[in-house]
Amino acid sequence: MQWFDALIQGVLLGGMYAQYALGMALMFGVMKIVNVSHGDLVILLSLVGISLASSFGLGPLAVMAALVPLAVGLGWLLQKAVLNRVVGEDPLPSLIATFGLSLALQNLMLQIWSANSRSLPGGGIESRSVQIGGIYIGLLPVIVLAVAVALTWGLDLMLKRTRFGRALRAAASDVEAASMTGINPRAVYASATAIAVGILGFAAVFQSLRSTVAPADGGAQLIYAFEAVIIGGMGSVWGAFLGAMVLGVAQAIGFRIDPGFGVLAGHIVFLLVLATRPQGLFGRA
Amino acid sequence: MVAMMPMQVSIRRQTASGRVALALFVLAVIGLAAMPWWARTGTIRMVLELCCYIAVAQMWNLLAGYAGLVSVGQQAFMGAAGYALFVLAQTFGVNPFLAVFLSLLVPLVLAVPCYLLLHRLDGPYFAIGTWVVAEVFRLVASNLSWVNAGAGMSLSVMKDYSAFQRNIAMSLFCALLVLVSIGGSYWFLRSRFGLALIAMRDNPVAAASQGVNVRRLRFLIYVAAAVGCGLVGAVYFMAQLRINPPSAFDPMWSNLAIFIVMVGGIASIEGVLIGTLIYFIADRWFGEYGASYFVVLGVMTVLVALYARTGIWGMISKRWDAPWFPIRRHLVLERDKP
Repeated sequence: MQWFDALIQGVLLGGMYAQYALGMALMFGVMKIVNVSHGDLVILLSLVGISLASSFGLGPLAVMAALVPLAVGLGWLLQKAVLNRVVGEDPLPSLIATFGLSLALQNLMLQIWSANSRSLPGGGIESRSVQIGGIYIGLLPVIVLAVAVALTWGLDLMLKRTRFGRALRAAASDVEAASMTGINPRAVYASATAIAVGILGFAAVFQSLRSTVAPADGGAQLIYAFEAVIIGGMGSVWGAFLGAMVLGVAQAIGFRIDPGFGVLAGHIVFLLVLATRPQGLFGRA
Repeated sequence: MVAMMPMQVSIRRQTASGRVALALFVLAVIGLAAMPWWARTGTIRMVLELCCYIAVAQMWNLLAGYAGLVSVGQQAFMGAAGYALFVLAQTFGVNPFLAVFLSLLVPLVLAVPCYLLLHRLDGPYFAIGTWVVAEVFRLVASNLSWVNAGAGMSLSVMKDYSAFQRNIAMSLFCALLVLVSIGGSYWFLRSRFGLALIAMRDNPVAAASQGVNVRRLRFLIYVAAAVGCGLVGAVYFMAQLRINPPSAFDPMWSNLAIFIVMVGGIASIEGVLIGTLIYFIADRWFGEYGASYFVVLGVMTVLVALYARTGIWGMISKRWDAPWFPIRRHLVLERDKP
C-alpha cells in the first residue's frame, strides 16, 4: 500500500513537472534551443504572482489570469530581444545568452524579494484532500495534473490541427524550406517561445500554491524539466508529459526509501534511460 | 627566364610578440614558484585563487572553444578531486601534497562513464546534462557517511606542516596550475593534435572529412578538462582546509569560467588571461555589492553572446596582429639563393 501511495503521489508530482517540461520540449523541438533561464522564469512569475496577491488581495485564479498573459508577453519579448539573435546551428550563443540571463535574473530576484521562501495563499485549497481506499489524495495536486493533461492535449492538438501548428512543425523540420513556402520563421519562433513561457504562467501559480519558492530555486526546475523531456523522448509533447510522470514517480519512490534520496533517484532514472534508451522511453529511434 | 623555379617554403610559427610573451610567461611561472620569498601568506592565497580561475577558465575554453562541448558542470570534477584529496590525506594518512596528484585519478576515472553517457545528448542538452552530473555528485557526497555527508570534512593534517612549508607548497601548485593549463594548452595547440583541434573548432564536419577523428578528440578533451579541473579542485580545497558538498560542487565555478572566457575572448589563450584579470579585479572592487554585481556580470555575458562573440581579445586581434601565444602556421616564401 505504501508503494502504491508513492506511485499515486509520484504521478501527481509529475503533473507539476509536465507543466515545466512542455515549454522546454516545444522550444527545443522548434528552435533546437535550450533556455537555461527556463526555471528562473517560473520563479520570477511565481514571485510576481505572490506580490500581486499580497498587494491587491487577489485569489489564485485572479493571479493566474494576470500571470499567463504576462508570461506570454515575457516569452515574446525574450524571443525578440535575445533568442532571435542567437538561433542557429551553433548551440553556444543561445546557451551562453540564456545562461547569462539566468545569472542576472536570479540575482535580480534576490535583490527585489530577498532570499526568503514564499508561497501563494490558496484560501484553503492547498490543504484539502479526499481519502480513497486508505490513500489521501490532495485536491490541489489533482487539479495540477488535470491542468497538465489539458495543456498537453491542447498543445498537441494545436500542433496537429491548426495552421499555426503546421507552420511550427514545418519550421522545426526544415527552416529554409518552410520560409520558401511563405512562413516567417522569426514570427513562428516568437509565438513558440510566447506559448512556452505562457505555460510557465500556469506552472508558476501551481508551484507557489503547492510549495514555497525562493530566488535560487530556478536551477532545480530547469533540471526537472530537462530530465522529463529526455526521459520521455524528444519529438512529442506527450513524450515530455510521460517523462514527467516517470520522473515524478521515481522521486516519490526515492523519497519513501530515504528523504535524502528522492531527487537523486530522479537523476539516476534519467541516467539509466540515457544509458539504455538514449532516444527516450517513448521516443522513436 | 620565367620558368617555374622550385619554391623554397618555410613555416614560420613564432612571432616577435610571441617570443616576448613566452619570456614573460616563463618569468611569471618562476615568480609564482618563488612566492614564499617575496610575498606574504595573504598574497599567496590571493594569487592561488587567481591561478585557479585561470586554470578552470582555460579548461572550459578547451571544451567550449575548441571541442564544441559546452559544459556547465565542470565543478563535478573539482569537487570529486577535492574530496579524494581529503579522504586520502585525512582518512588514510597519505602525504597531502602527494595526495593532490593521486586524487587526480578520481576525475580521470569518473570522466569516462560521464562522457559515454553525456555524448548521446544533442548540443544544448549536453550542457544541461553536465549540470545533472554535477548535481548527482553533490547529492551522492551529501549522502555518503564516509565523507561525513552534508557536514563536510576538515584537512587537519595540514597542521603538521609549518606555515612556510605550506606557502612553498601553495606557490609550487600555483606555478604548476599555470604551467599545465596555459603552457600545456599552448604546447598542445601547437602540436599535431592542436592542428586537428583547430580544424574541428572551425568546422567539425570538414575536419572529419580531412581525417580528424572528431569523436576521439572530443573524448580526450573532455577527460583532459576533467583532470585539469580536478587539479584545480584539489589545490583549491587543500588551501581552503575545508570541504563540504555545496562548496565542493559550487556552480559558481561554471559562472565564472563562462564569464571569463566569453568576455575575454573564446578559443584563445590570451582571452582567458584578459578575462581572468577583469573578473579578478571586478570581484575585488565590486564583490561587496553581492547580488547587483552578479546582475551586471550576467547582463555582460548576455551582451557578449549577442553582440561580441569573440570577446575582448577578438576585438584586439582584429586590429593588431600580435598574438601572445601564436598557434598559427605561416608559410613564408623564400627566394632561391644562388
